[in-house]
Amino acid sequence: MFGLDFSWLLDPTYQQWLLQGVLQTLELAALSSAFAIVIGLLGAFCLTFRLAWLDASIELFVELFRNTPPLLQMLFFYFTLTQIGFTTEDPVTGLQVPLISAFMSATVSLSLFGGALCIEAFRSGFDAVPKATLEAARSLGYTRWGLFRHVQVPIASRICLPPLTNVLTNLFKTTSQASVITVPELMYAAGQIYNDTFRTLEVMLLILVIYVVLVSLVVWLIGWVQRALAYPGYGA
Amino acid sequence: MKNHRMRILAASMLLLAAPVITHADTLSDIKARGVLTVGVKNDYPPYGYMDNNGNTVGFEISLARYIANELLGSPDKIKLVPVNASNRMQFLNSGQIDIIMATLGVTPDRAKQIDFTDEYVSAAGPSILARKEVKFTQWEQLKGQKICGIQGSYFNKTVTEKYGLQLVNFTALPEAYRALQDNRCVAMVFDDMSLQNKLKEPGWSDYKIAVKPYEYLPMAGGLRKGDDAFRAAVDKAIVKAEGEDKLIGWEKEFDMPPSPYIAKRAEAARAAAK
Repeated sequence: MFGLDFSWLLDPTYQQWLLQGVLQTLELAALSSAFAIVIGLLGAFCLTFRLAWLDASIELFVELFRNTPPLLQMLFFYFTLTQIGFTTEDPVTGLQVPLISAFMSATVSLSLFGGALCIEAFRSGFDAVPKATLEAARSLGYTRWGLFRHVQVPIASRICLPPLTNVLTNLFKTTSQASVITVPELMYAAGQIYNDTFRTLEVMLLILVIYVVLVSLVVWLIGWVQRALAYPGYGA
Repeated sequence: MKNHRMRILAASMLLLAAPVITHADTLSDIKARGVLTVGVKNDYPPYGYMDNNGNTVGFEISLARYIANELLGSPDKIKLVPVNASNRMQFLNSGQIDIIMATLGVTPDRAKQIDFTDEYVSAAGPSILARKEVKFTQWEQLKGQKICGIQGSYFNKTVTEKYGLQLVNFTALPEAYRALQDNRCVAMVFDDMSLQNKLKEPGWSDYKIAVKPYEYLPMAGGLRKGDDAFRAAVDKAIVKAEGEDKLIGWEKEFDMPPSPYIAKRAEAARAAAK
């Protein structure tokens, strides 16, 4: 069909590059999603205290990491930190080597970027918890932490699952930018292979399909959580 | 719904990537246009680079101008399009340039996609740039080592499979050199000529060519497949330039070590002309 040639898929070197690419993409996406959710929950929790200085610092964090390109953040963590002295001595060679690897640079920058988006998603969830419910809980004698754990989180998490789906699928796709700082994820593997075989169209089609499948899995997974947690009146 | 959207997406990808159908008579096209469009390097001394006045010059630029003069009567009837290793074949096959003259090594894989002109240079393949202190001198000693490189280099697969290098590939040279200086890699693998030139720059006195090239590769111009009249005309111009010792002159002009290969080609061209 259309003269497509997928014979390069039989080459063990390319297979290995692709496999490594998929694994690195999954690893990067899983780690940065987990950190992003933790950052999001922490940030949104802090916002519930309504402390001016805390609100301002979280606001600053969100503005900084949500409003700058993730690619720029990645390059910053990869190159700039080393330039300003984030280095350590290699015990074998005695040379100053960068403190964080390419994979770590990508994980850190994606976690912070995703975290900023998660804070917003969770904040919208917390804001949507009815005031009357909170007052009712307070009058029953819930402590501040108890209120958060037993009332706010259960209700808010159900409300913010749909926006969270957007954030996490976006984060998953943004992992492809780690190829620029040489993290051998899926996009990097694709670049290696089409530069070698010149079968740009075929390689692009294949990784398009792989991304669609992987991101669909993420969507399905969150959808499953959403259905499992569902109760009438809140969220889906 | 989702299915439908996927199908549209796939169809538009196909359209974007489908090779532009060009009829294979570039020679009469460029004569009608009065300009030869050449894909060149502008960051790769001595073959093609920017001089202090911002002009693109170099060994291959001089040859391209010579060819333009032969085909169109003036060395200035030329348009230089900067290309890089990973996009130049797409530029050619989509019709944006007529010919690649950008340090294009002749390989069997590339010959499946494009045609080559006569070979005009025999270039050293990749060598290894590293700090002066390093002990390794052989490719075999680099197994499993983290080595900075460039995506799209023709030798990437070979050095991975044959010598087991663990390549860390960047899309552009400045990032790769930066990463080497930051000690993110123990060494860098790239074209020998380019690395040799890097060593001449300030700030690189602590580095050396640690491992010598394992192969030499002829370089040629790249043309669209089956463009035979154009190829014959370009080849004629190249052989003429060789016979007139032009390539030896450009070698000197651009500070390249004298290559026995170019001298031999000049001799052969003169012998053929007799």
